[in-house]
Formats: sequence, structure tokens, C-alpha cells
Amino acid sequence: MSHQPTKLRRHIARKWHRWLGLVAAVPILWLAISGIMLNHAQRLGLNDRMVTSGWILQHYNQLPEGEPYAFEVGDRLITGWGNELFLDEESIPLEGELVGAVAHKGRLLIATPDKIGVFDGADELLLELDNLSLPGTPVQALEAVDDKLHLKIADQTFVLSEDFFSADQVSAELVAIEPRELSPEEKDSLTEAIRTRRGMPLWRVITDAHSGRLFGWPGWVVTDLSAVFLIILTLLGLRLFPKRKS
Amino acid sequence: MMSLLLAGGSAFAGPKVHQKPSDFIKSSLGAIPTTHAITLTATQQRQVRAILGKNYKTKAIRYWARNGKSVFILEEIGKTEAITTGVVVKNRKIETVKVLVYRESHGWEVARSAFTNQFQGTSLKSNGQISRSPRNIAGATLSVRALTKLARLALFLDSQK
Repeated sequence: MSHQPTKLRRHIARKWHRWLGLVAAVPILWLAISGIMLNHAQRLGLNDRMVTSGWILQHYNQLPEGEPYAFEVGDRLITGWGNELFLDEESIPLEGELVGAVAHKGRLLIATPDKIGVFDGADELLLELDNLSLPGTPVQALEAVDDKLHLKIADQTFVLSEDFFSADQVSAELVAIEPRELSPEEKDSLTEAIRTRRGMPLWRVITDAHSGRLFGWPGWVVTDLSAVFLIILTLLGLRLFPKRKS
Repeated sequence: MMSLLLAGGSAFAGPKVHQKPSDFIKSSLGAIPTTHAITLTATQQRQVRAILGKNYKTKAIRYWARNGKSVFILEEIGKTEAITTGVVVKNRKIETVKVLVYRESHGWEVARSAFTNQFQGTSLKSNGQISRSPRNIAGATLSVRALTKLARLALFLDSQK
């Protein structure tokens, strides 16, 4: 008779262990597999692979904040949006507020307050000029005047040398050209390009799926519940571990 | 199993500026001399690709030289963020490696002088490898690799001046 309560408790523990295990099996398997993947991200190449799926990119909302504005250089459109810069509809490896853009001897120079990016004819970044090579920062304006590159820094005007590495101060005052707003069609087209061309690193997506954040609050609730279930399953398993008395 | 649940969770500390690049050049050369640049030819770009596993972010790489020393301010991605590193080369050997700006959330240990001092006196072997590889740091493997690549790149660029 004294064994009856123990037998009943073991029966209840086994029942809970079975059903909790069933409910938590899929999320726990996912946590285990994604955890192993993240621990071997480098070997699996997760850092290099990009996810370009539309719904994933939409979920990450990669669009910059604020209103885009642009400088036209010939038939090229250089756009600043938030802290990001775009050459036509391609993102360029330069960040900051767009303060000017000019074409000069087959090259395209794009200026932010901290840097000037020099792009070659293939739109590749040839050179980055910062306070180590410029007469100072922040750059306020960049223009081509009489085939020479003029810079405005701290309300003073400088003419850049042909190799871009030295500058002479001149007395002429440089009036900054104001950028223009993008038309609704241009903005829509750029928005679409950002959404479809920008990838997210696979490790980032797996990390967020692992934590549940990728799926919003239901995701992290499921992840938290799975962890709690795992704790309960472990305790129930320990409770069931001792051999049944014959 | 619980460690698996916790994998990937870390707080991002943000960029840490250990030294401004301009201050690094001044402290290494006494002043900031005129900028020079090596514009990579197609052959040199191939060699740079062999070192980094990809193209450098710019086709022309700047350096500053004075009294037989050259300073390179280079960047390489550790895991996801660029590590800005200053390298001083003299007589084809590394004199100083210093992490100037560290932006990754993990692996900041590579910025310690105990690690970067390992590069002192190293040179480039004929096979393009560094003469003495630094010891790895557990948890900072990618940052260690990035700094080793930058040391090799600086030595390569110094040989191309």
C-alpha cells in the first residue's frame, strides 16, 4: 500500500515527460541544430553566405530612415538616404551625410563630412580620403570649378591637387550646391532595389531564428517556453531515472 | 544543451577607439607627412587577394613614410565589422602593429599589446606567409586571422613601394 503514492507520482511524471517532450521536440531540435551551426559558423561559411529572400529582407526592414536626397552628375544619380549612399541604385562603401558629388577626369568623387570617396570608371572605390589626407574635416562642399576640384572646409576654400593628396587654400568662396529631393518614382525604384538586392548574412538570420527574434514576440515566447520545457523535462527525467522497485 | 540555448546571445559593445589614426601616424613618424598611395596593378591585386582572400576595399592604398619607416592604416573585417589597424614597417620588418578602432563584439583581446607585440620583427617569407605566426586566442580566431592578414598585407605593400 505504501508504494501506491510513489507509483502514482511516477505515472504522472512519465505522462508529463511524454507530452512535454512531444510538444517541445521540434523547437528543441531546432535550437540544438541551430546552436551547433552557430558554433561552427566559420567552417560552414555562414559568415559569407547572404540571404536575399524577399520576406526576410522585408522583415529586417533594411530601408534607411528619413527622406532621400540626391546630386546629379551627368547621367548618374548619387543619393544620400539616412547614413547610406547610393550610386544610381547600388549601395556604395561610403557612409555619412552626402555633401557633394562631382565627375573629374574620368573619376567620380563623392563627399561626406568625414570622407571623400574616389570612384573609377567601373564604379569601384579607388581611394578614400579622410582627415589624414585632406586639409581638414568636416567637408562642407565639393565642386569642380574650371576643371579643378574645389573643397569647402571650415568655411574656407581649397583646391585639391591632381593626386588628391595636397590642397592649396584659395580666396574664392565656394557656394555649396543644394541637393534635390528624389521624385516618388525614383524613391520607389530605389526602395525596391534596396529590398531586393541587399542580403543579410546567413549567420545573422540563423542567430535571430535561434533566439526566436526573427519571428517577433511569438518566436521568443516559443523559445523561452522550449527552454522552460527542457528544464522541466530534465527534472522529470531525473525523477524517473531511479529503477522501479520490484 | 543549455549552452546551445544560449549560443549567439551577446551584447554589442560598439566601436572602441584605442588611438586615432592621425595620432598613431604622429607618434610613429613624429608628424603626418604627405600621403602616398600604391595603386594596385592587376598582378598586385591578385597577390592582395591571395593574402586577404578577397580584394582590398580600395584599389589604391595609402601610406605615410618618413626616416625609412612606413605607416599603413589598414582595415579588415573580423567577423562582421572592420578592424582599423596601424602597421609600421621598417627595413621590410614590422616594427609596430596597433589596433586603432575595434568594432566587433567579440575578440577585443587582439587589441592588447601582449598580442600585437608578437608581430614585432616579423617579415614576409617567399611564400607570402608571415615569418612568425601569432598564437591564436580562443574566441578571437577571426580577429587574430584578420590582424595576421593585415600584417602580411602591410609587409607586401611595403615591398611594392
